Amino acid sequence: METILEIFDPSFLSRNSVYISLLVGFVVPLVGVYLVLRRVVFLGVALPQVSSCGIAFAFALQGWGWIPHAHDSAQERAIALAGSIVFTIGTILVLSVLERRGRGLIEGRTGLVYVMAGAWSILLLVKNPFGQHGMLELLRGEIIAVSTVDLLLTGGTFLPVVAGLVLFQKEFLLVSYDRDMAVSLKKHVMFWDSLLFAFIGLTISVSVMSVGPLVAFGFLLLPPLIAYQFARNTAQFLWLSSVIGGMAAVAGFAVAYAQDLPVGPTDLALLGILYVVTFLGRKGVELYRERRMRAATGA
Amino acid sequence: MNDSVLLKMERVSVGYGRHVVLSDIDLTLERGAFIGLIGANGSGKSTLLRTILGLLPALNGRMEFLSNGGKGPVLGFVPQRESLDPAFLVSGLEVVLMGTCGYVPPGRFFRRADKEWARHCLAQVGAFDLASRRFSELSGGQKQRILIARALATKPDFLLLDEPTTGIDAATTRSILEVLGRLHEQQGLAILMVNHDIGAMRASVREVIWIHEGRLLRGPAADLLKREKIEEILGPSLN
Repeated sequence: METILEIFDPSFLSRNSVYISLLVGFVVPLVGVYLVLRRVVFLGVALPQVSSCGIAFAFALQGWGWIPHAHDSAQERAIALAGSIVFTIGTILVLSVLERRGRGLIEGRTGLVYVMAGAWSILLLVKNPFGQHGMLELLRGEIIAVSTVDLLLTGGTFLPVVAGLVLFQKEFLLVSYDRDMAVSLKKHVMFWDSLLFAFIGLTISVSVMSVGPLVAFGFLLLPPLIAYQFARNTAQFLWLSSVIGGMAAVAGFAVAYAQDLPVGPTDLALLGILYVVTFLGRKGVELYRERRMRAATGA
Repeated sequence: MNDSVLLKMERVSVGYGRHVVLSDIDLTLERGAFIGLIGANGSGKSTLLRTILGLLPALNGRMEFLSNGGKGPVLGFVPQRESLDPAFLVSGLEVVLMGTCGYVPPGRFFRRADKEWARHCLAQVGAFDLASRRFSELSGGQKQRILIARALATKPDFLLLDEPTTGIDAATTRSILEVLGRLHEQQGLAILMVNHDIGAMRASVREVIWIHEGRLLRGPAADLLKREKIEEILGPSLN
């Protein structure tokens, strides 16, 4: 508890890192819910990798002299973010169009994207030591040195995403759940799908810049998987996933700070433990109820 | 043009991509009709239904919805319940509220009146107590009632159902058909129901469209579904 009070103290040196962890913890699971519901979780692995590839490409452009070298870290991050957003949103929109046309294997395409993005990230950075250093920090999920500009950028991106997810929840749910019904109601399915995927792509791009691809994927997947066990409807599923993500981000930061561990992996380890505990607990309760029912009916 | 006509199809071909399933269809559907669409597996029943719904484009010919008010009619669609993914954590009420998305504009939350309307639709099909239950955990018959309530929530002019009684026991089938019959009687709702259960059709619909060897045979259910007529259409293979 003392550690938690300490990290929330306004004079805490890494307070920006705490805030960015919280933002990622609360917001990323909200888009993860749609990846889980639409059974495209693998996209959650591939897109952070694509985002990393976009960042690597932005670094490579500087290395090749195609764009001027960034002179300060804010400029460097802006270029990297642009690369991340262009690659992620571009990929997700192309994949969503192909999904709607129903041609080929979705998993196969996503796997191909993942492998290619991973391979190209390495190839683009292998002769770019400056970029390699920056990418290594991202891959480790270090959330320590966060500038106020980064924080504002992340918050400024997440705000319209959350507003859009809340305002258009019924449209996103309708086109995700029953496309035929949406068409029969004369809804522009392609538009709503594209908007949802743009929100997902934007969230992933910014979170990969903030916490790295592994941690971004963890927050996309684990809080919704935990919440899925308890939620009764979509609204519950959304807010429960977000609360679990946010709580895990706070707890993970406190543990990492107290034990001198990297923040991102600590967050994910905690979420993993929470998933196993809740899964076993739920199964135990189900088993207990079943036995009591059997005993009551004399079966 | 006759005011009672709801849909007019002239020399329409339906199918998927370049694959024509039915060609040169001439079909007129009237307001207040209760029509059953039957045919063997693969005969084109669902393809025709999906074309009417706008889910598939007509490959050629002319298809026109006619409306008294100038705007096209609202179509209430009841899909096959297996087509809906059980992974979604949606309650009965949430499913029915989806039906209101046709007139609740984007960015506006559901109001109390929308929820009351959804509950009223649930009550109409005898599923009021299923509002808070998770849709994926309901029985086949309960899901079907919820889906009919969702179609009613669209405030439809025309209700289209795709195999609503498939895989459902006889008693539940009877009660679902009773609900449809009541909606037709009380609200004058036009209904087109795809079904391959001749017994269910005979007990419910007024008129039948039978797709047989690429042709549409149409007539009163009492005539077209007589044993002798069925034997005449299907030939000696019936036995």
